[in-house]
Amino acid sequence: MSKKNKMFEKVCEYLGCDLDSEPCKELQHHLNECPQCEVFIDEIKNTVKLYKEADECEKTPKSVSKKLFATLDLDKPDQNSESKSEE
Amino acid sequence: MLENEEKIVEKAQNGDKSALAMIVNEYQDRIYHLGLSMLKQEQDAEDMLQETFMTLVEKIHQFKGNSSIYTWLYRIATNIALKKLKSKPRKYPHIPIDEPDFKKIHEEETKEEMEFDFEKVNNYKFRKILNDFLDELPPKYKTVFILRDLHDLSTRETANILNLTESNTKVRLFRARNYLKEKLEDLQKEELMV
Repeated sequence: MSKKNKMFEKVCEYLGCDLDSEPCKELQHHLNECPQCEVFIDEIKNTVKLYKEADECEKTPKSVSKKLFATLDLDKPDQNSESKSEE
Repeated sequence: MLENEEKIVEKAQNGDKSALAMIVNEYQDRIYHLGLSMLKQEQDAEDMLQETFMTLVEKIHQFKGNSSIYTWLYRIATNIALKKLKSKPRKYPHIPIDEPDFKKIHEEETKEEMEFDFEKVNNYKFRKILNDFLDELPPKYKTVFILRDLHDLSTRETANILNLTESNTKVRLFRARNYLKEKLEDLQKEELMV
């Protein structure tokens, strides 16, 4: 399947259309001959990728987590298993 | 997701503290990350984390199981974050997010494709610029972008969390993505001019 057809299917999926429906056929026809649309879709995709790569998925700092469990008056699960193994 | 999550939630609803602790332990990182993405400041993220799980403990008996527990937690956390954002003075004025100008897109036949240098994300200054662009978005667009694109939630989950229709969620996401793309485009033009 060509890159354009794959992209077209994704756009249709995004739009929630039936692939054989008239708007989808029109869109496929358009994408087949529109380099600007292809560039536009690629740029949107790369923008998202760039943000995703820049996003630092930080874990909760230990001190923050400790405070959270203390506030909630709960024992951290790993602390439970530690105390069990000590018994 | 926790193994046997339904059972653990049921136990937590019946007052089992170790079950509650398992839920908190499983989802604290995702909620803290959401706090940082939405509010930027570590202290605000910590406050959001605390408030979210305090609400969980208080209201878990109200959870009906129509969605997963993490979708429910995300809804609590997002509402808290949006309230906090509302109460703070905005760093940037509200910008109107209009329909993308499709006519302009098609008229730009000579426009060169934007170059994306993914190495730049290692640069602190560049990451700060990306964050500033994201902060310029009104919260209703920014939140959809964060949930869908940074936290990988589905359209249905995002719509459920924000109490939106799926089509409305898609519209907001597209506008947010397009706004960020245009800002990056402007940045690239500025850099070329220097």
